[in-house]
Amino acid sequence: MRILLVQPTPFEEGRLGLENIMWLSEPVALTAVAGAVPEHEIEILDLRLEPENALAHTINRFRPDIVGTTSMTTDAYQAKAVLRTAKRMRPNVLTLIGGHHPTLSPEEFREPYIDIIVKGEGELTFAEICTVRQAAIDNTRAEVVDAEALANQTAEGLSGVDGIEFSAGDRGWLSTEKRNQQKALDDLPRPRRDLVHKYYGRYFFTVAQPMASIFTSRGCSFDCNFCAIWEFYDRRVRYLSAEGIADQMAACEEPFIFLLDDNFLTDHKRLRRLVEVLRERKIEKHWMTQGRTDFIASHPELMADLASVGLMSVLSGFESNDEDALAALNKSNTVENNRRAMQILRDNGIQSTGIFMARTDFEKEDFDALYDYINDLGVVAPIVTIHTPLPGTQLERKMKQDLLTEDRRFFDLLHAVTPTKLPREQFYEQFARQLWATMPSTMKALSPSQLWKRKAFWMRALPNVPRFVYNARRNRIVHSDPKSYLNDEVGVLDGKARTNFADKAKVTAIPSGSKKLPILAS
Amino acid sequence: MVATPIERPHAVNTDTTLGARRFLKDLREEIRCHPGVNHIFLNRLATMPFTREDYLVFGLQHYPLINCFTHYMENLLIRAPGSDAKLWIAKVLVDEYGEGSDGDDHSTLYLKFLRAAGVRENQLSRTHLNPFTIDFVRTHVHLTTQRPFLEGLGAIGPGHEWAIPAMFESIVPGLRRAGFAEDEILYFWLHQDQDEDHGAWLEEALVDLAVTTEARDQIRRGALASLDARERFWTGAQREVVRWRQPLSAKNALRKLQRGAHTILSEAEDRSRVSLGKRGLARLRRRLTPIYLDDVLPRPELAPHK
Repeated sequence: MRILLVQPTPFEEGRLGLENIMWLSEPVALTAVAGAVPEHEIEILDLRLEPENALAHTINRFRPDIVGTTSMTTDAYQAKAVLRTAKRMRPNVLTLIGGHHPTLSPEEFREPYIDIIVKGEGELTFAEICTVRQAAIDNTRAEVVDAEALANQTAEGLSGVDGIEFSAGDRGWLSTEKRNQQKALDDLPRPRRDLVHKYYGRYFFTVAQPMASIFTSRGCSFDCNFCAIWEFYDRRVRYLSAEGIADQMAACEEPFIFLLDDNFLTDHKRLRRLVEVLRERKIEKHWMTQGRTDFIASHPELMADLASVGLMSVLSGFESNDEDALAALNKSNTVENNRRAMQILRDNGIQSTGIFMARTDFEKEDFDALYDYINDLGVVAPIVTIHTPLPGTQLERKMKQDLLTEDRRFFDLLHAVTPTKLPREQFYEQFARQLWATMPSTMKALSPSQLWKRKAFWMRALPNVPRFVYNARRNRIVHSDPKSYLNDEVGVLDGKARTNFADKAKVTAIPSGSKKLPILAS
Repeated sequence: MVATPIERPHAVNTDTTLGARRFLKDLREEIRCHPGVNHIFLNRLATMPFTREDYLVFGLQHYPLINCFTHYMENLLIRAPGSDAKLWIAKVLVDEYGEGSDGDDHSTLYLKFLRAAGVRENQLSRTHLNPFTIDFVRTHVHLTTQRPFLEGLGAIGPGHEWAIPAMFESIVPGLRRAGFAEDEILYFWLHQDQDEDHGAWLEEALVDLAVTTEARDQIRRGALASLDARERFWTGAQREVVRWRQPLSAKNALRKLQRGAHTILSEAEDRSRVSLGKRGLARLRRRLTPIYLDDVLPRPELAPHK
């Protein structure tokens, strides 16, 4: 069978968005599921790096039997458009969608042009779906492409595949048992990174380019209420062994690697072993990852060791300058940890990309305090986001009544989807000035003494600096203009957005429309 | 208006007819799968909650295409080699002039939609057109005036009539989601039905015309050239719909420069006292900085075939 896997684009030229400016990572969800079906002919299409209409051209050329895509919350409509295009061009194609948002909000994807919604991890489920489809094709091949017979055969087989919802014709949408996500990561098939080799050199993290992307763990043991990772993975965390990580790093041609784990800095024994293995095997890559500041604060020696084997940057959720706010987010962390972590990172020449949250009840003084705090920390790339109740999170369940819109494009952490205490214009004015207001933080992090500590990295990354500065400047123009945010709200939040913050209870909640489907016994 | 197939006035060789029908069937399938008919923007219109404001931006780019369509048809009508082809073109033109829509021509119907979307006075003539919108109009003027008749017919016939119902199938659900009333979007759903009829009439007319390999090549070439322009047009329209919400994007800054150049040429044109100079400057402005509807609407004195 021919399988086309498509990474949708949440980002269009000129539109607000963090992706494409700060980073662009490989579509690891797609390379991972592609690894599970080596017997089939597979192509990956990354629409973030293709001309606008590449999808239709690829479908005509490749003539796929299955088209699959993945979706985060802000990609939802784009992902649907991908599958709608595929179904219209090739009515017999099997269309399926997986990923974070379809898993947590499957009801949004029960559309006539979508055949299957994959919930949870995709590798094993996808392999089973392909087996079912191949059998259906084989059984109906003798007939003259009988679309109905093919669909019926497929639907029959899908009843035995765990972790999906599927369209069963007249019977409507059916759901199967939840998939058990316990397989050790070392036993999962290796991601097919070769399928994105055609985009070599185009993935990056700030100035680190060309960059490879791999994941070495899944899940998170913390239960921050603004995040649904721990729910997606059933509160379990699974790790790839240190040897497994080293194997994957060694296989990367790129000098820079992004370890995309939601929280890489957790199991200190695994990390110590990783340091040993990387030294033994003399793997000299520069790599970036994500981790919590409390771990960094409590493991200074380990951080120094990790820096010595190439750790160059850590993306951390600092979230707030206020203890009460951290507690309200269930962050289980402290402002003091944030400070200590920054000191440790600075001592080791590890750059910090920090994510901070501006709450919708912020006033000018709150923004000032947050920006002062960031400047004091000296984060190289501070990213201030807006406190957003993302679908599937505890926060969403708590704040559902306050939502001004369920338009998924607004859940990009750059738009306030709940009423703001300040008038919208003033709120966005304060929010948009972050780029200039936090410049001292960036300058502090990029002081000559800091750069000198990691001169090997900077020598490698130097050729990419002009490109990054150019792109960052272009996007800075859009991001630092409050009108960019306000214009996005025109026609969507008109009237509602003017609702007084104190009267937010009066905002009419939009019905979720969700409904549970009957579970099929597998 | 009830569609009636065009009667063929003379008997046709059955083998040739079969060959033509097979060619037309293949061409229909090629058009159905063409990237211009399945552009991702069309599918986004169907899946994404665009607002009336977004549809206004889209409509302002789309309007020149509607406005110029009868012009292409008129170009072809005078070049049609036989009464069969003339009859088909005339029938479609009658509909375009308003026969099937209570006397409202299609341009008027589209204006109703634009008014519902909130178009302001002068906005039609002062909208900065995307280069791909301009390219679309110019491509079709070229196809219907400079290329063999059958190429023009391929562009305006199969390239339009067989493609539009499928394309509008994606647009109409989005318009309804954005809250437009049925009478406000009459233009779109009318075309879903009317173009099916036109497509059927056209097929009958084409059976008699697609009798040689060369004729078939010309028809196909014209249809695909039209759809290629259409694909570029959707790309341009998508960019406009995304861009209007970010007023300070770099692309918008470039537009300011272009508008400045356009203004300078327009003023020079107004000040010129010699009519030859005026016409020369008008040509220059339309060639170098075409940005408004007036720059792309075909003018008899400036049309390339004159």
